[in-house]
Amino acid sequence: MNDVLDVAFRLVVVFAVFLVLPLVIGQTEHKVMAHMQGRLGPMYAGGFHGWAQLVADGVKFAQKEDVVPANADRRIFQLAPAVALLPYLLVLVAIPIGPSEGAVGEIVDAGIFFVLAVMGVGVLGSLMAGWASANKFSLLGGLRTAAQLLAYELPMLLAAASVAMAAGTVSLPGIVNAFEWWWLPWQIVGALVFFVAGLAELQRPPFDMPVADSEIIFGAYTEYTGLRFALFLLAEYAGIVVLCGLTTVLFLGGWHGPFGAEGLGWVWTLLKTAVLAFIVIWLRVSYPRLREDQLQKLAWTTLVPLALAQIALTGIVKVVNS
Amino acid sequence: MSLAAAQGFLSPTGVEIAFLLVGIATLGAAVVTVTTKQLVHAALWLVVALGGLAVEYLLLTAEFVAWVQVLIYVGSVVVLLLFGLMLTKAPIGRSPDADSGNRPAALVVALAAAAALVWVVVDAFRTAWIDLDGPAQGSTKVSGTILFRHWVLPFEALSVLLLAALVGAIVLSRKDRTTDREGQR
Amino acid sequence: MAPIPGSGLAKGLAVTLRTMTKKSHTAQYPDVQPELPPRTRGVIGLFEENCTVCMLCARECPDWCIYIDSHKETIPAATPGGRERSRNVLDRFAIDFALCMYCGICIEVCPFDALFWSPEFEYAETDIHDLTHERDKLREWMWTVPEPPALDPGAEEPKEIAAARKAAEKVAAAQAAAAAEAAEPAGQAPQATDSTPAAQTDTAVAEQAQREQAQPPQAQRPAEGGTE
Repeated sequence: MNDVLDVAFRLVVVFAVFLVLPLVIGQTEHKVMAHMQGRLGPMYAGGFHGWAQLVADGVKFAQKEDVVPANADRRIFQLAPAVALLPYLLVLVAIPIGPSEGAVGEIVDAGIFFVLAVMGVGVLGSLMAGWASANKFSLLGGLRTAAQLLAYELPMLLAAASVAMAAGTVSLPGIVNAFEWWWLPWQIVGALVFFVAGLAELQRPPFDMPVADSEIIFGAYTEYTGLRFALFLLAEYAGIVVLCGLTTVLFLGGWHGPFGAEGLGWVWTLLKTAVLAFIVIWLRVSYPRLREDQLQKLAWTTLVPLALAQIALTGIVKVVNS
Repeated sequence: MSLAAAQGFLSPTGVEIAFLLVGIATLGAAVVTVTTKQLVHAALWLVVALGGLAVEYLLLTAEFVAWVQVLIYVGSVVVLLLFGLMLTKAPIGRSPDADSGNRPAALVVALAAAAALVWVVVDAFRTAWIDLDGPAQGSTKVSGTILFRHWVLPFEALSVLLLAALVGAIVLSRKDRTTDREGQR
Repeated sequence: MAPIPGSGLAKGLAVTLRTMTKKSHTAQYPDVQPELPPRTRGVIGLFEENCTVCMLCARECPDWCIYIDSHKETIPAATPGGRERSRNVLDRFAIDFALCMYCGICIEVCPFDALFWSPEFEYAETDIHDLTHERDKLREWMWTVPEPPALDPGAEEPKEIAAARKAAEKVAAAQAAAAAEAAEPAGQAPQATDSTPAAQTDTAVAEQAQREQAQPPQAQRPAEGGTE
C-alpha cells in the first residue's frame, strides 16, 4: 500500500511541476522578451507586474468555443493536442533533479533512449494536427514540422550518444553521477549541438519555420481554438522545460555545483534549467527566423558533422583515459 | 529455463494477461492498418501497432529494445511515412483507389510470413520462460553485451546492408539530376 | 579584416541583453499622464468674448467642421443724436472633432485671438455626434489652455508692451518737465492750471501702461477669462 501511495505522490508532484514550470517559463518569456524590446510586458493581471497573465490567458482559452472545421478529420483533429502534450509529461517523469532516490519521478534504465523516443512521439501531434485540419497552411506546417524533425533528430541522438559513451551508461541519474567538471569543456560541442537540435525540434525561434506566422499563419495549429490550442502552447513550453532539464542533466552536471552538492542539489538543477530557459527566450528575441533551406543546411552540414566529431573525440579520450 | 516446470498455462500471472491483451490490441491495430481505406489513418494505426509492440518488449523486460522501437519506428519511420503521405495530397476521408487487385496475393504472403515467423519462434524457444523477478534479461547492458559479443557478425552485416541502401539512394538521386540536366539541354 | 565567425550572432545577443538592462520606453498612459510638449494640438478652445463672428475660421477650415450661427443686434446711439450701431451676436459656435484634422488653420487665421490650442486629448465618445463640441464645451476647453510659453531670453519685447512702455516713458518725461516747471518761480498759476488736465490724463495712461507691463492683455491670458 505504501508503494502505491509513494507512486501516486510522485506522479502528483511531477504533474504539478508539469503544470507550473511551463507557466513560469511562459511568464518569464513575456517579461524578458518585453524588456529586451524596451517594453514592460503584461502589467495588470494579478496586480503585481502582471504575474497572473498566463492564468488569465488560460481562463480565456477555457471560455472560448472549441471549433472543429467542417471538413476536418474530427477524431484525429481532437486527439492531436493530447498526443502533442502527453509525451512531455512522460519525459518529465524520468528527469532526475537531485542525487537522492526521491528526486526523480521514476528511474528508467535506458533513460536517454526513453526520453528521446518519447519526445519524438510528441511531434506526431503536430503532424496529426497539420493533416487533419483540412487547411493548406496547416498541411504546409505539418510538412515543415516533419522535415525539420527528420533533419534534427539525428544530431540530437548523436550528441546524446556521445554523453552516454562518456558516462558508460544510458541511465540519466547514472550519467549525472559520473559527471566531472572537465566534462564541460570536453562535451561542449555535443552540448551545443544537442541544445540547438532540441530547439529546432521544439520549433522555437529561430527554428520556427513550421509555425512561421508571416507565411503560414500558425502552421499546424492554425485551425485550433480554445482549450486545444492552449494545450499546444502548453506543449511548447513544457518542451522548453524538458529540453533545458535534459541539457542540464546530460551536459551541465545536473545537481553538481561548486558547493552544497548534497542537500541543495536540486537547487543547482533548477538553477541551470532556468538559465537555459532564459537562453531559449534570449535566442528567440535576438535572431530572425531561418529559411527552410538554411534549416536543412544547418542540420546536415553543420550539426551532424559536429556531433560525429564530438563522438570521435569522446571515444579517443575514453580509450586514452582507460 | 528451469522455471518452465513451475509455470503453467492455466494459472496466468498479471503480466501474462497484460501481454496477451496488448498482443490482441496490437494485432487488431495491425489488421486495421492494412484494411482501412483512409491512408493517414492507416499510418496512425501503424503507430498504435508499433507502440503496442514496444509495450510487449517492455513486458518482456527488454527495456532498451522497447525504447529503440519507439525512437526509430514511431519517432522516425512513421514521421517519414506521414511526410510522404502529406506530399501525396492524401485526402481526408476514404480513398477508393487505396485498394489494388493484389489483395489475395498480399494475404497469402502475409499468412506465409506469419506462419514462418511463428514456427521459427516457437521452435526456437518452445517452453523457455523469462524470469521477470530476477535481473532483467533485456536491460541495456545485457543487450549490448550479447549484441557485440555473440552477434557481432550479423550486426556488421546489417550495417553493410544500410550502407548499400545509402549508396543506392545517392546513386538514384544523382541519376535523376543528370537526366534533368540533359532534359533541360 | 575578416570578421570572426559568429561575431554577428554575439553582437545580436549583446544588443538584446543591453536593451533588457535599460529602462523600458513603454508609456503607462492611463496610469501615468503623458508629458505633452507645449503647443500640443489636443483640442480647440473658444474664448467667446473675443469672437466677433467674422466667420474667417469657418471659411478657412479645410474640413468645414466649424459651425457658426449669429444674428445682428442694434445698439442705440451712445450719444443723443448719434448713429445707431449694429453688432454681431454669436448664437452657436461648434467644432465637429469627428471631421477636424487638427491643422490649426482656424487658430492661425482668427484675428481676435478667440481660438486656442489645448493639450487635452481625452474626449473620445461612443457616439460620433457627441464629437461635435458646442460653445459651452469649447469654453470649458478654454480653461485647459496653458500659459503661452515664456519668451526666449534676449527676445524682443512684445509689441503692445513696447508701445505702452514708450507711451509711459513719454508721459513720465512730460511729468518731469512739468514738475520742473512747477518748481520754478511761482506766480505762473494760470499756466499751471492750464497744464493740469493734460498731466492728469498723462498719468492715467502711464499707470495703465505699467499695469499692462505686469500683466499682458487678457486675450493673451485666457485663463483669466473665467473671472468674467
